[in-house]
Amino acid sequence: MDKRELLARISLALILVVMPVGFFIYQYVLRPAISGVRVIDIRAVAPEAGGFQPDSMQVQAGETVTLRFHAEDVTHGIAIGPGLGIDLGEIDPGHMKEVTLTFDEGGTYTFYCNTWCSPNHWRMRGVIEVRDVSNTIPAAQHDPVIDKLTAEGVDIDDTVHNGGQSNRSQEMDNIQPSAQRGAAVISQLIVPPELKDLDWRRSHFPQEAMALLLVANSNASTSDLVDAVAYLWTENTGSQTLASASSLYSKNCAACHGQTGGADGPMADQTAVKPIAFSDLAYMWLRRDDVLYAKIRRGGMGTDMPNFGTLFTPDETWALVNYLRSLTLTSSNP
Amino acid sequence: MTARLDLLERAPGLRRTLKSRLLQPALQLVMLFFFTLAILTGLFGTAAGSRNFGIVFVWIVWWALLIIVLVPVAGRLWCTVCPIPAPGEWLQRRGIVRRTPGKLRTLHKRWPKQLKNMWLQNFGFLLMASFSAVILTRPQVSGWVLLALMLGAVALGVLYDNRVFCRYVCPVGGFIGLYSMLAPLELRVLDCKTCDEHTAKDCVVGNKQGYGCPWLVYPGKLTRNTYCGLCFECLKTCPKDNITLNLRPVGADLLVAKERRLDEAYKAFIMLGCALAYSAVLLGPWGWIKSWANLDTLPHWLIYAAGLWTLNLVILPGLFGLAAMVSHRLTGEQTSRREAFIAYAYTLVPLGLAAWIAFSLGFVFTNGSYALAVISDPFGWGWNLFGTANSPWTPLGSNLVGLLQTGVLTAGLLFAVQTAYRIARQQTLNHDQAFRAALPVISFLTVLTLGFLWLYLG
Repeated sequence: MDKRELLARISLALILVVMPVGFFIYQYVLRPAISGVRVIDIRAVAPEAGGFQPDSMQVQAGETVTLRFHAEDVTHGIAIGPGLGIDLGEIDPGHMKEVTLTFDEGGTYTFYCNTWCSPNHWRMRGVIEVRDVSNTIPAAQHDPVIDKLTAEGVDIDDTVHNGGQSNRSQEMDNIQPSAQRGAAVISQLIVPPELKDLDWRRSHFPQEAMALLLVANSNASTSDLVDAVAYLWTENTGSQTLASASSLYSKNCAACHGQTGGADGPMADQTAVKPIAFSDLAYMWLRRDDVLYAKIRRGGMGTDMPNFGTLFTPDETWALVNYLRSLTLTSSNP
Repeated sequence: MTARLDLLERAPGLRRTLKSRLLQPALQLVMLFFFTLAILTGLFGTAAGSRNFGIVFVWIVWWALLIIVLVPVAGRLWCTVCPIPAPGEWLQRRGIVRRTPGKLRTLHKRWPKQLKNMWLQNFGFLLMASFSAVILTRPQVSGWVLLALMLGAVALGVLYDNRVFCRYVCPVGGFIGLYSMLAPLELRVLDCKTCDEHTAKDCVVGNKQGYGCPWLVYPGKLTRNTYCGLCFECLKTCPKDNITLNLRPVGADLLVAKERRLDEAYKAFIMLGCALAYSAVLLGPWGWIKSWANLDTLPHWLIYAAGLWTLNLVILPGLFGLAAMVSHRLTGEQTSRREAFIAYAYTLVPLGLAAWIAFSLGFVFTNGSYALAVISDPFGWGWNLFGTANSPWTPLGSNLVGLLQTGVLTAGLLFAVQTAYRIARQQTLNHDQAFRAALPVISFLTVLTLGFLWLYLG
């Protein structure tokens, strides 16, 4: 056979056979082998088109894995929780971001989208089941706060059963509390001991605290008492915690509840029940922190409010509650 | 005969190169590499079109090079290197480079006489155009289309002798053939008498040096570029060295009156109509048209497709027909109405090409930068072969695009106007009468051009 003909046929075989095979060998054999760790490629598309694929995986505690997220249709934000502090940020369509991590202990973790990507964005989640040294996946722990509320007979879905947004303290409508002013007046007031107890404050609403302060300080002005309550409700929140909670809120809550808590997010009119306006002081004045916490972790039945208990740690959830409080209790005009 | 510059006489090295049996297969193998990559990335790569080699390099890079450079300058030179028919042709010949002895190895079926025209290509292009918003943006769909074209070409290569796919089926070949009439490059015989006296007709039947014309053309009677695929087989087989490559005035083929045909006229309407539709759908500000073309719902798409076909097959030809009828009357009706309609339709060739160039400029400047990223990460799998995977999208020369589009459309209009006059002169020898006769068609051309300018400039 002519040498040129032979060369041409070899080239043809290289193009039609060797090249395609080579690409797949490189992608699925060589690249994982070179990386030295197990690589899991995860396709990220809007939930209507399938969501994460795969949407569940199992790893061993102590095993190092690389999770590679490929956004295929729109921009997705990828985070993994609870308690891992992993937020890969936004991934534009056609781009990829990866994270290499080792799970220290067994449990169930969630990877989720935290950039609004579609009407069913909140469904865009996947599960990582981590087997511990005994090769079992530890069962999810009950949340003691939710258990306590259930034992007390408190209706966590008070939006449905207790009048919802219409259950408000109307006399608070024209009042603007300031935790900053409260910090200045608190030393001049007699503060009942229960108000200094964090657990008490979390299980009672600000209106109740104000009533106790009024009894102890009958000559104090209403505005001073309101500011004092604002101070007490926000005194445990550091600025760094508030900043990270603000970021969590922006990414996970603002689409429905609004950037400033006004229930005016772009998806607010798509939910089964109108989202709560956290910037409504009159509403928040009659709400307990532990109920807000439970609602965030468990989700709202029949309201389209998703559960975030599998995404956030209890501490992150409390930080979020504190952030929600700050929307009405900290003023820009001290 | 108008002025011609014989390139092969001036560059004997070029003649030797074009006569080499290695040249075309070598180039086709290179293109086949990229074509195979486009199919693979389309089928298996990321669904994000801007990060997929198949979408970026076929519908942005290749398309822009084809319509802005190759076709206007060199006519059907893309067909020389096109990889789509190559595997089928090599299968027929049982060889890639060498000239294998004996007949082509096919089932020797006969292509139906009724389909020995451009109609299949016209409807094929319209069909693809109906799905263009989907094909151009979904890598998987694009991959399947490219694969289907290649498998179709191979299948036809098994059934029929020669390049039946290229000549009668390829939706791209149809318009390349039409617009190649404008190109300043042509392959022609040096002396027709030599061909008339040469009874063996090696260029048609082939000999030891090469195959008979795969494009089913008799080079001795070639007067237009439309159906010559520049494979240069005739250059290899002609024992008289009577074939050459010329440089010639732009648009010379438009005035070759005796080969004008209705299928080619409709090709001109379809290309112009699709340029209009693509500009509105893909570059326009009307989101609802985009959504309908993008198959948001089946009923919407059906309305869009019906509109597209009606525009191309009824509205444009209908309106043009009215103008052509008036022009025909003004020339004293020295030809039939049908002949006049067909003749004047060729004025849409320069305007149509200008419209496609203007349309392509609109997106190639904006999206060309995607090419850098996909070179390094063709599948969108997170590779970085050449370090350019993270090159950002960078629109280039945004403030120049409108200017360029205006310039191109104006040039196209002027050429079309000149062509209209010259066609009118072919129907009447009287200059004044020809000028008046051309006016209705010129008005149509002007209104169309203004329409395009309004689409691009607002």
